Amino acid sequence: MKSLYVLSLLAVIMACQSSKDGSISPGAGVGGSMARFTVAGDMLYTVNNSSLQLYSIANSANPVKGNNIGLGFGVETIFPYGKNLFIGTQTGVYIFDITQPASPKKLALYQHIMSCDPVVAQGNLAFSTLRSGTACRNGGTVGANVLDVIDFTNPSAPKLLKSYPMQNPHGLGVDGNLLFVSEGDYGLKVLDITDPLNAKEIAWFKEIRTYDVIPNQKVLIVTGPDGLFQYSYANPKEITLLSKLPIE
Amino acid sequence: MQKHVPHRHHWLLAGLLALTGCYYDYADDRLSAKTGYRPVYASYAEVRQIQTLSPQPLKSPGKIYIKDKFLFINEIDKGIHVVDNTDPAKPVRISFIAIRGNRDIAVKDSILYADNAIDLVALNIANPRNVRVAKRIENSFPYSAYPPQTNVTFECADPAKGVVISWEKAELVDPKCFR
Repeated sequence: MKSLYVLSLLAVIMACQSSKDGSISPGAGVGGSMARFTVAGDMLYTVNNSSLQLYSIANSANPVKGNNIGLGFGVETIFPYGKNLFIGTQTGVYIFDITQPASPKKLALYQHIMSCDPVVAQGNLAFSTLRSGTACRNGGTVGANVLDVIDFTNPSAPKLLKSYPMQNPHGLGVDGNLLFVSEGDYGLKVLDITDPLNAKEIAWFKEIRTYDVIPNQKVLIVTGPDGLFQYSYANPKEITLLSKLPIE
Repeated sequence: MQKHVPHRHHWLLAGLLALTGCYYDYADDRLSAKTGYRPVYASYAEVRQIQTLSPQPLKSPGKIYIKDKFLFINEIDKGIHVVDNTDPAKPVRISFIAIRGNRDIAVKDSILYADNAIDLVALNIANPRNVRVAKRIENSFPYSAYPPQTNVTFECADPAKGVVISWEKAELVDPKCFR
């Protein structure tokens, strides 16, 4: 009986741990903000250019095709957080409720001008970068280069809290009060978002070109055309390079 | 203090409007232009071959994915570098999973999900040096039929000829596609 208590206590602790980083999926890994595949619970969610395709992976070795949900055009990224899925498209961010994992319910489409835009979330805030550029539908002529902070306390009615100008933001990642933004050819920016309305730039690494980032357990993994870089942010005031896998 | 635009400017404006009106006619000329892009095909059987290789050099890294001590790095359109990242100061490449047309990765338990051109594959990575296909779901993704470049003329891709693995610049006879 005692061991049962210990076991259930352990289960509670583990549940707390997994919810801390927004992961809702025991057994799943962690992807970046540019991902088009994500695992949440017993589902694999994939997006292609125009739709969301589900696969049931209750038996992980045997994925079974599930629902397909049309999303218009220019779908780019998918990010799971809590009971929500955030889907970045060239016209805005969709928020879906996945309380019923096999039947996601569309809650909102937070619209903006046409740009490429990955999105990550933490607490009641979503962070989305918008960038213009040749990889986006509109080339360099239309679009913007900004970081949007969106309040989704009410996920059916997301609100833009603040927009910060950026150089050419790509992927991004958030951990606690730190926000990491890949700035393409302009490097990597680290922002202190203790007050999300007044984010402060605490570091800007200009010497590497960056595409996507994953902050995970105080180690920041960065990829880009120069290779793969890992930094320790255990001390945010002194972010240090741990290793590098260069392009060969 | 010139408040009225002189009449000749109206003519200039009308002329400019007329020019933009001609734009769509020029589009036809562009379609019959000879230099453009031609799809390079590989057979479906070839593209569907998945192999585990020894570690390969990082050339064009795409997305990344973390699962426990492993780090997976997509090599754009070529496959996945499997890295033992137990010590982030000393990442060790342990194998390369060759998957044509691969861009995306997700993992649950010891199964890695990846796009293999138009198919979704579930790969058993329990032994990352000997990866096995657990399941393949064919035609899960749209057939890619466009060159990455925009504002170009190209020979329309034909799914019957195989999977488009790249685009080459070529002299084309009466190309029908434009992007």
